[in-house]
Amino acid sequence: MAAPQSVAMPRPRRSRLGEALARMKRNRIGFVLCALGPVLALFALIRIYPIAETIRLSFFDYHITRRRTPFVGLQNYLYLFEDSAFHDALRNTIVFSVLAVITTLLIALAVAILLRSIEKAAPTFELLFYIPVVTPWVPASVIWKWIYDPTHGPINYFLSFFGVPRLGWLLDPVLIVLALVVVSVWKLVGYFVVIYGVGLRAIPEEVLEAASLDGCNAWQKLCHIVLPLLRPIILFTVVTCTIICFNVFAPVYVLTASSQGAPAYDLKVLVGEIYANGFVYYHMGYAGAQCVVLLLFVMSLLVVQFLAFREK
Amino acid sequence: MFEERWVRNTAWAVCIVVALFTVVPFIWIIGTAFKTAAEINAWPPTLLPVAPTLENFAEILGNTPFPRYIANTMLISVASTACIMVTSSLAGFVFAKYKFPMRGAIFMIILATATIPIEAYMVPLYIMVFKVHMLNTYAALIFPLTIMTFGVFFMRQVIISIPDELLEAARIDGAGEWWIYLRIILYLSKSGLMAVGVFAFSQAWANFMWPLVVVSTGDMYTTELGLAVYQRAFYTEYGPIAAGAVISIVPMLVVFALLRRHIMQGIATTGLKA
Repeated sequence: MAAPQSVAMPRPRRSRLGEALARMKRNRIGFVLCALGPVLALFALIRIYPIAETIRLSFFDYHITRRRTPFVGLQNYLYLFEDSAFHDALRNTIVFSVLAVITTLLIALAVAILLRSIEKAAPTFELLFYIPVVTPWVPASVIWKWIYDPTHGPINYFLSFFGVPRLGWLLDPVLIVLALVVVSVWKLVGYFVVIYGVGLRAIPEEVLEAASLDGCNAWQKLCHIVLPLLRPIILFTVVTCTIICFNVFAPVYVLTASSQGAPAYDLKVLVGEIYANGFVYYHMGYAGAQCVVLLLFVMSLLVVQFLAFREK
Repeated sequence: MFEERWVRNTAWAVCIVVALFTVVPFIWIIGTAFKTAAEINAWPPTLLPVAPTLENFAEILGNTPFPRYIANTMLISVASTACIMVTSSLAGFVFAKYKFPMRGAIFMIILATATIPIEAYMVPLYIMVFKVHMLNTYAALIFPLTIMTFGVFFMRQVIISIPDELLEAARIDGAGEWWIYLRIILYLSKSGLMAVGVFAFSQAWANFMWPLVVVSTGDMYTTELGLAVYQRAFYTEYGPIAAGAVISIVPMLVVFALLRRHIMQGIATTGLKA
């Protein structure tokens, strides 16, 4: 392969193939193929293919141990409209996500903004807020399960000072959602404090000083300078936090199960339904349809985010 | 940012309250892990143990298969971290420094799938593993954790700032592309690579959904799975479970404490992506 290196010397009848080869050599296409090829193959195998296959499965009556897996068209999707467990799960997941996202992000935003006025103590506080973030979901839920315990748990002890009678936090269909929200806020708030901190540090100090000289008070600076500048980050955190919350499963798995002889309310959530249908009953086609619901939800959030950023 | 007196006072008050909220449950679990069974069930509850004991740790490490779970989790996490460090740095290097057809499009596809959670596509993944008769193996547990989209993105950001002249100079001296990757790129991006490693390790360590689906016998349990199943299935003393929870949190805290700077840098990148 004697491809000419110089482009400056024009050759009248150089073949297009030769030209392409020369360009490839200059770009070291061999290395690119060897280095990126396996990674992309792996990526296709464990990401692209399963995502596509999930969609395909949702049109089949797939059962892992059966040989025949007939095509059923939209039947799995139609069943979604009849399945009351799925409706419960979807409603619980949405209610939980809305509450958890709003609470987490409002606290995180307020704390991140307030931290900027006590800059010296900020790293220490961020560290303390970050402890639950590095705690995996299962031990986090184990901790809270005991805190919520009706007979021995410290939360009922704490509330007894205010004259609140003992509450069965995990037994009541409403209280358990609130309990779950508290666990999630505990787990996630530190992460978003740090993310907002990054955004806030990027705001030039001079702008705020100039505003102060013009007689703006803290509230005006917050509403007219800080929050507008933070908008892209706020959008990003809303999308990220919503996706995390919509996938809630481990804390539900731990908190709703009975232990210490104390039963708990069996709260249904979307991923819990996927798990039950797919891996307990092996109705994988139907589980696939529920996965598609989750997939569509996540994708639509990402599209919203993408469109919002493109406008800028 | 805000210098007003009342803002500063509010800041202290609010941050202390939130810090108590994040730290007290954590102190509570550590305290409980060192309490005796009688004290755990005592009313009113105590935050710190009156008579600290190692009984609970002895129980869970000595009389349950928990050490096996820890070893399993260690193995999976280390293997996954190694794979992700290699795949992320290689792919990041190629995306940062080479031109090839469809580069932008391929990178966009990778990024687009970054936030799709494994829950949404685990069914076919499971069927795949089932068909090759690999359920309940280490390979199956590690397999979905061999690449990390965020790692590729992050390493590309890090490597893109390495000057091209450096690579050209090495090439003039006769260096091949692999040599450049091993000797220049890895060396100059090692801080970023550490951050990716930390994320990969904690992601594998905390993984719950995939082990729950793919593991069927007790000897293949991970710590997370073991903890959840203990908590759920048996009428057990809370002490040993609390000790198990502490054991599962401590490695995360150690890694975080040692590599805080790298992690914060990584998170900052996530934030700036927005």
